[in-house]
Amino acid sequence: MEAVPVVSFDNVDKIFNRGGADETVALKSINLDIRPSEFISIIGPSGCGKSTLLRLVGDLIAPSAGTVTVNGKEAHQARLDHDYGMVFQQPVLFDWRTIQRNVELPLEVYGFDKAERQQRARELLQMVELGGFENHRPWQLSGGMQQRVSIARALATAPKLLLMDEPFGALDEMTRERMNMELHAIWRQTDTTVIFVTHSISEAVFLSNRVIVMSARPGRIMQIVDIDLPIPRGEHTRQDPALFEAERAVREWLRKAEAFSA
Amino acid sequence: MSHTRTYLPAVVLFVAAIVVWELFVQLFDIQQFLLPAPSVIGRAFADNFGRLVSIGWFTTKEALGGLLIGCTAGIGVALITARWTIASETMMPFAIAANSVPILAFAPIVNNWFGVDNPLSKMVIVAVIVFFPMMINTVRGLTLVDANALEMMRSFATSDFRIVWHLRIPNAMPYIFNAFKVVVPLSMIGAVVSEYFGGNRSALGIFITQEAAQFRFANAWAGIIIACIVGITLYAVVLVAERLIIPWHSSVRKQTT
Repeated sequence: MEAVPVVSFDNVDKIFNRGGADETVALKSINLDIRPSEFISIIGPSGCGKSTLLRLVGDLIAPSAGTVTVNGKEAHQARLDHDYGMVFQQPVLFDWRTIQRNVELPLEVYGFDKAERQQRARELLQMVELGGFENHRPWQLSGGMQQRVSIARALATAPKLLLMDEPFGALDEMTRERMNMELHAIWRQTDTTVIFVTHSISEAVFLSNRVIVMSARPGRIMQIVDIDLPIPRGEHTRQDPALFEAERAVREWLRKAEAFSA
Repeated sequence: MSHTRTYLPAVVLFVAAIVVWELFVQLFDIQQFLLPAPSVIGRAFADNFGRLVSIGWFTTKEALGGLLIGCTAGIGVALITARWTIASETMMPFAIAANSVPILAFAPIVNNWFGVDNPLSKMVIVAVIVFFPMMINTVRGLTLVDANALEMMRSFATSDFRIVWHLRIPNAMPYIFNAFKVVVPLSMIGAVVSEYFGGNRSALGIFITQEAAQFRFANAWAGIIIACIVGITLYAVVLVAERLIIPWHSSVRKQTT
């Protein structure tokens, strides 16, 4: 039985500055179904439109052709229904709010009552292992901790879909690996579908059920690589020969994608 | 301890400057009407203290009234136009041009409009002086918002009003405080100088011009000192308010954490 896809791209094109001198075809003929509870990574050379793809799902931009469907409705309606949470490359925390109140922000915007949103924010901060930092301010936290706060904020409304745009790109390797472990745990715990944009092969393979390799100019889906590593993943996964095999496969397709783009 | 270390050099410099001034006047036997010695000004200040306080307060009320009108209008217009980016962008060049108009030059005309004795004529001058820097800074604060933060608010599918409330206004607060730091001393200058063009006898600007006209320069200087005290006090109030209202901002938090 095929489940209804959480996200579905149907012949989607995205063209920036259409008709202008600097017209750019960012995405061309994208067809893609993302299944419920799937962790899917998008990887590709810079400028391949992977962030554009994510922003189309979030209805932060509109497709030039084709349709993007989220939970069976138009992406625009899904945004209005608060169907997803989003984590950006930067943590985007407000300095004028405490950590706790940064996590509460979406709940406050949606009009949850105070007791409920405080309770929820505390739980989420526990989950991202930041219990005890409720009353700190963003600038008092390290980059990794700030990004964990932004993950907690994205999960505040318990969305069934989490969009992540290179969230760990600015972190050092060790922090990134630890964050990957935590994200994997959160994903298993919350049963959320995750679309994860990254330029790190190891990160993509470690976290995902499927890795989408894209080529640039115009951005197309080059290959979808299935990652059949057992779940849960952890330290043992990093020693698994199947991991190296999967990384090798992704790397090969990335090379092809780059050759294709050039 | 650390406070002493921060403020001590400034205090020493101030005292030294007064001493040098005093010695300079004494040693070179400078004429009173050119530059009275600090000790003479101090005596004039003490002798006229009651009067100075009352005229100082009169002018301070004009400055505060002008600040209230000008800042409310400046922030208000900025808030209304920031909602329509195009409107504020079209307006900005005009605002910047208007800001470079020497508004004090209008003082005699405004005196004529509202009556020379009416404190409102001074308040209007102060309000107009204060309006443009306040408006320009507030518009900047409301519009120079992190694009990522705007995108995040958009992902929340929230109303423009909430974006203004949760993001644009807090973002504008440091800009508004910077405007206050510029505008508060300007308000005192505006009030005193527009009084030079005529006004109520119990006003500071009138006192300074009249005492100077009658060669009582030490009294005129004492009037200037009152103006300085008021200006510095108002500025200090802004600094304290800034610490209380935006303790999170980088310009403030270095001193508090």
